[in-house]
Amino acid sequence: MVLKEMKSTLPPGSYYFSGNEAAAEGAIAAQCGYYAGYPITPSSELMHRIAARFRETGAVFMQMEDELASICSIIGASWAGARAMTATSGPGFSLMQEAISYAIMTETPIVIVDIQRVGPSTGQATRPGGGDMMQAKWGSHGDREVIAISPWSVQEMYDQTINAFNLAERYRVPVILLSDEAIAHLRERIEVRERITIFNRRKEKGAPPFGAGDDGVPPMPAFGEGEKLLVTASTHTEYGLRKTNDPLVQAKLASRLHYKIVNKREEIIEYEHYHVEDAEVVVIAYGFTARSSLFAVERLRQEGKKVGMIRLKTIWPFADRLIRNLGAKVKKVFVPEMNIGQMAGEIMKYAPCDVISFSQTNGEVIHPYTIMEQLERLL
Amino acid sequence: MGAVKQVRLCGLGGQGIVLAGTILGHAGINDRKWVAGSSSYGAEARGSACRSEVIISDEPISFPHVIEADILVAMSQSAYDKYIENVESEKGIVIYDDPLVSTKEINGLKQIGIPATNIAATELNNKQVANMVILGIAVEITKIVTKGALISAVEKNVPERFKALNLKAVELGLNWEME
Repeated sequence: MVLKEMKSTLPPGSYYFSGNEAAAEGAIAAQCGYYAGYPITPSSELMHRIAARFRETGAVFMQMEDELASICSIIGASWAGARAMTATSGPGFSLMQEAISYAIMTETPIVIVDIQRVGPSTGQATRPGGGDMMQAKWGSHGDREVIAISPWSVQEMYDQTINAFNLAERYRVPVILLSDEAIAHLRERIEVRERITIFNRRKEKGAPPFGAGDDGVPPMPAFGEGEKLLVTASTHTEYGLRKTNDPLVQAKLASRLHYKIVNKREEIIEYEHYHVEDAEVVVIAYGFTARSSLFAVERLRQEGKKVGMIRLKTIWPFADRLIRNLGAKVKKVFVPEMNIGQMAGEIMKYAPCDVISFSQTNGEVIHPYTIMEQLERLL
Repeated sequence: MGAVKQVRLCGLGGQGIVLAGTILGHAGINDRKWVAGSSSYGAEARGSACRSEVIISDEPISFPHVIEADILVAMSQSAYDKYIENVESEKGIVIYDDPLVSTKEINGLKQIGIPATNIAATELNNKQVANMVILGIAVEITKIVTKGALISAVEKNVPERFKALNLKAVELGLNWEME
């Protein structure tokens, strides 16, 4: 069985963690064996905690010279058989893009935590933003599929980091935890359960490491296990041999890398809905902004206003069917974001109704009253 | 709806506002409450405005920042001036460091002056622990967390070599006789 029940590494119970600390504990719970990173505000406390806790667990922590080295190093660790992770913020995430593309092409399971801060570029290092939503999907060349998750609480920083490792190992793909400063530095009570479920990487002696497998995801050997293993980001056959002139091999590989994720999107995608049944206007939100939005929606419901909310927990692959169906039922959807309409643009691609984008990129979280005010105008 | 208390602690960087918030939040967890806490976060050094927010609730917390404080603890004039307008007008309580803060009259608002910095300086010969004194007094007045929960939170969050001093300060606050 590839799914395994494990005992939690922390004694079960309540903790008062920051989002960064919770993500570090989630990684440890998910049996992360290797972390390489370069410190950057506002993600650094995650690395601090990993460095301290790995001394207790015996896992390997490396502070690298920069973000390029960090991500390349975790790709190597993953091929050596470890569950591997790094964390960064927008500027570092930009530097990692080339190697994320490499990890996608070589089908390397890795976890990247991106604690977003407001940009562009260095921007305001200590302030939250949501400017990396599209970078997570399209940050490097080539058609590429990744999985990206947006946690809205400290509990989810813990739970979804575990989930990120499981998805990475299950689909052999980089998984990005798209968080932000507001969640990373929020402290909340979280509950650590006694047992957690871990997905163990599939192995099959002699099976092609880049073949189609049962469902588009091949088993993955590690170096040193006796398999003839060639890993290249150039176009390759199912045994990893370079084929850089063959259109059929290119088409087959690129298509499989796309469909192994897209065809499984109903399994991967998670979302929540609140008061949607009879709603005329629905807020679509994610991350911290979904906390503000839910507060606003609950208040307006108390006044009898027909508003609802969808929270996207999974950002990529995008919940296209959900949005298409929702858009056919409601008059308007309202999309508040800490960027200039990055996900609103994606929602417009699928929603057959009015999509109203609300942007706030001043480095402040969006206040519930701001959302209430905007919604009242639309009702 | 269970009880929800929104607490804002504010003062100057270096007064231990963030630590006081973390300890209060931890005390809430010790009491089996739901807690959300957030603090000023920036490159500013000692002496600039500083804020720490804690929400303590019987139920899970939807929006995790303070919208309107039920309890405001102010340890500097600038922080008081900045946040005094954002206190719940009917049941809100303001606890301020006297005489560091001079108050303005606000209709119906209960404002209690405590010489926390003076107490720390005279009783413990160290005004650095004024934050623990005022936190102890605030807990004694408002009962937002239990005494035991607060003391155990101090033990968990203060480095070993300052533990005895901080415990003394918080207990001094908890047992302070109001005039």
